[in-house]
Amino acid sequence: MGNHGDMRPTLVEQYRRPAAQVTGLAVAISLLALPALGLAQDAPTSVATAYRDIPQLGGSRNLIWVIAQLHLLLAGFVLGVPIFAWLCEIVGWKTGEKRYDKLAKEFTKLLTSSYATTALFGGILLFMLIGFYPKLMAYLSDIFFPSFVVYCGLFLIETATLYLYWYGWDAMQGTKKPLHLFLGFLLNVFAFFIMIVPNSWATFQASPVVIAEGSDFARAWAATWNPTWWPVNIHRLIANVVLGGYICGAYAGIRYLSAQTAEERDHYDWMGYVGNFIGVFGLLPLPFAGYWLMREIYQYNQQMGITLMGGFLSWLFILQAMLIGVLFLGSNYYFWLGITHRIPGSEIKYRKPIMTMLVILLLCLGVWMTPHSLVASLEEARKMGGTHHPLLGVFGVMSAKMTVANLMILVTFMSFIMYWRAGKEETAGWAKVAKALMSGVLVIAGIVVIVLGVWGYFVPAIIRINYFSVAQVLIVLFVMLTITPLTALLLRSARTTTEMVWGRMPPRAGYALVLNAVMVILLMTLMGYARSSSRVHWHIYGVMRDSSQYAFSPALGYAAAFMSLNTFLFCMLVAFIFWVATMGDKAKGKDPIEEKKHVPVGAYPAMAGGSQTLDKKH
Amino acid sequence: MSEVAFLQLIGLSVVGLGIAVLLFIKARFARVVGFVAIVLGLFSITALSVPQMASLPPVEEKFDVANIKTASDMAAIGQKIFFSKGQCALCHSIGPSESARCPDLKGIGAKLTREFMYESLTQPQAYIYLDFRHESQPKEYPARMPYINKNPIGLSKNEILSVIAFLQQMSGEPITVSPSEITQASDAPPAQAKPAQTAAVVPIHAGGLNRDLN
Repeated sequence: MGNHGDMRPTLVEQYRRPAAQVTGLAVAISLLALPALGLAQDAPTSVATAYRDIPQLGGSRNLIWVIAQLHLLLAGFVLGVPIFAWLCEIVGWKTGEKRYDKLAKEFTKLLTSSYATTALFGGILLFMLIGFYPKLMAYLSDIFFPSFVVYCGLFLIETATLYLYWYGWDAMQGTKKPLHLFLGFLLNVFAFFIMIVPNSWATFQASPVVIAEGSDFARAWAATWNPTWWPVNIHRLIANVVLGGYICGAYAGIRYLSAQTAEERDHYDWMGYVGNFIGVFGLLPLPFAGYWLMREIYQYNQQMGITLMGGFLSWLFILQAMLIGVLFLGSNYYFWLGITHRIPGSEIKYRKPIMTMLVILLLCLGVWMTPHSLVASLEEARKMGGTHHPLLGVFGVMSAKMTVANLMILVTFMSFIMYWRAGKEETAGWAKVAKALMSGVLVIAGIVVIVLGVWGYFVPAIIRINYFSVAQVLIVLFVMLTITPLTALLLRSARTTTEMVWGRMPPRAGYALVLNAVMVILLMTLMGYARSSSRVHWHIYGVMRDSSQYAFSPALGYAAAFMSLNTFLFCMLVAFIFWVATMGDKAKGKDPIEEKKHVPVGAYPAMAGGSQTLDKKH
Repeated sequence: MSEVAFLQLIGLSVVGLGIAVLLFIKARFARVVGFVAIVLGLFSITALSVPQMASLPPVEEKFDVANIKTASDMAAIGQKIFFSKGQCALCHSIGPSESARCPDLKGIGAKLTREFMYESLTQPQAYIYLDFRHESQPKEYPARMPYINKNPIGLSKNEILSVIAFLQQMSGEPITVSPSEITQASDAPPAQAKPAQTAAVVPIHAGGLNRDLN
């Protein structure tokens, strides 16, 4: 380990030694405590020291990459789970279906251990940052010190609220339930602020606003309210809901695969359904939030936008399309499996619509994944007349991609509506009119989205970005906001023709849930790399340059290896947390399945496609 | 073995390991881990199959007055800056291009004087029209062109003159920039912001305008 003011000369050698770095990292991961030990043994810190490094353990940048990513994923999990749990608790309270309350409690139990793990990684990250990047941290501390104080205060309040929420669960039942729900609300509000404070530090690095005048608070506030702060806040908030939902689904999927009894299969099948439902619920608006973020980046600095979408990171968005596409396919596939296996006799009835939706999704995915320019040899490029394919080249631009993204959201939404309505027969007198209206809204919306997409080729980019793309998003939102309440009204008086049967899903349904969770985690690691790399060789874009030997962004393949490693480590950590949290229950024989046998029967199916069969059974 | 080949080998090994687990191990959790390994391995292999572009920090061109004898020497340095530190090729092309977002610079040296080019690079907002289509004060149409002499690009005067020399040379025009204009002393790179000593900054407004943060 050594201190370096400038370590540039060894850049290329370092970059070309992946084997050494990977090996070093493996050692680093198993010896997480060593960096702190190493730092403690170092020579007295010089004020002028800009960087420190431990090349033997893979290099400071790679160590930070792994720890920061794990901390961020855990933080997303810790912030997503309370939202998920609180939503389930509300559903359970409103409908009287106790199993939702049990599910909420089961997941809140995870919070105590996962909260500590997240804080642990946050602490390691902080020590590493102070040790490896003292100059940068001194600069950030100078600007953001007031928000550090706020952050600590928020942590204290959040922790106290979490304790009250968790330990007061059983005590605050019955008439005190609203108070408990209010605590859950507060927990999420504080968690939201805990998320947005560090977001301001990270977004400041990408889109800094620096003022010299004013008090410390004024400088911190100006830096906090930077152009990409709110887009990132909203994007992360929704993404955390998605992460929480899909991780719940994956947990249920694994437990479903290893279930020994019919009760276990029923319970975890239902839990998987709830997890997937909440994941999809968050997934549908997520692309809109991402679009807003990208738009703000372009408005802040066009070069940064071009570096992301047209520069060396452009292929990253093809990978992103692939991951999102698989996620959409996986979520829909799970819905379709649910229709065909949980509702006996519906296989034939829904085969055609499912096939149609599958074809649309695959076509859309194909368009989304079409790159703007192809990797081609000189001869191939000459034959094509450029790097754009003569036929497929038209699909490489944003107009096409926005269109197919909106169509995929529409299809997924229709999958969900189809699942919701399956096995039920509408009895309301106005059912025919409502169904015709919904079909009309859907078809017209689809056509308008496509027309706007095609029209987008013939108008200036600014018109397309400011009007057409926004109109497409609003149309899709309009479809969701009209069809959802209309379906809910229709089904209120509907007759159940075929009762949903839980626990009949094939094993591949469990793997689909795991796949969805892995896709979400990979997406988070991928976009984290994109956000960080968009600053190129700047710690703080345009303000503080990175002059270390790591002032480069590695190529996508190398980065993907780290993304995969981080995803795997996070999955193992979460599995460990689940195992630890449920170990006590198993020892005491307090399995949620056993507990549920004493749960009173619920009144209504709580969520779209839900059923009270499980409650009735017990 | 190249880095990409090495990582591909690791990716394939992980996929193979995952398949072996699914084939030979019955324990459910291990099978799920195997499945996850296959997914992650395939993702890595896919990422390794697209073009591998790393983003290296710009190399500072050395302006050694003693070694710059002719205007062509300056143009040669300018060409390097055009495609690296200057980031000009990120938006501009030299000759028709489907992917260029900003004007084609082929022949630009014949169309514009060096003074106009210098001003365009350092004051891109100078000839931008004002928007009067609303009440209150007129607004500036934001320039798409960034301030080249300010961060994050931050070319020095010597570097800008070299880029102009390159643009003139590739347009077939006589280079009007003279090596005598290169000054060693003034070639310091744009200052890094010092903590808590930065000047007041107007942040951002719509349109992709770069604002200096120093």
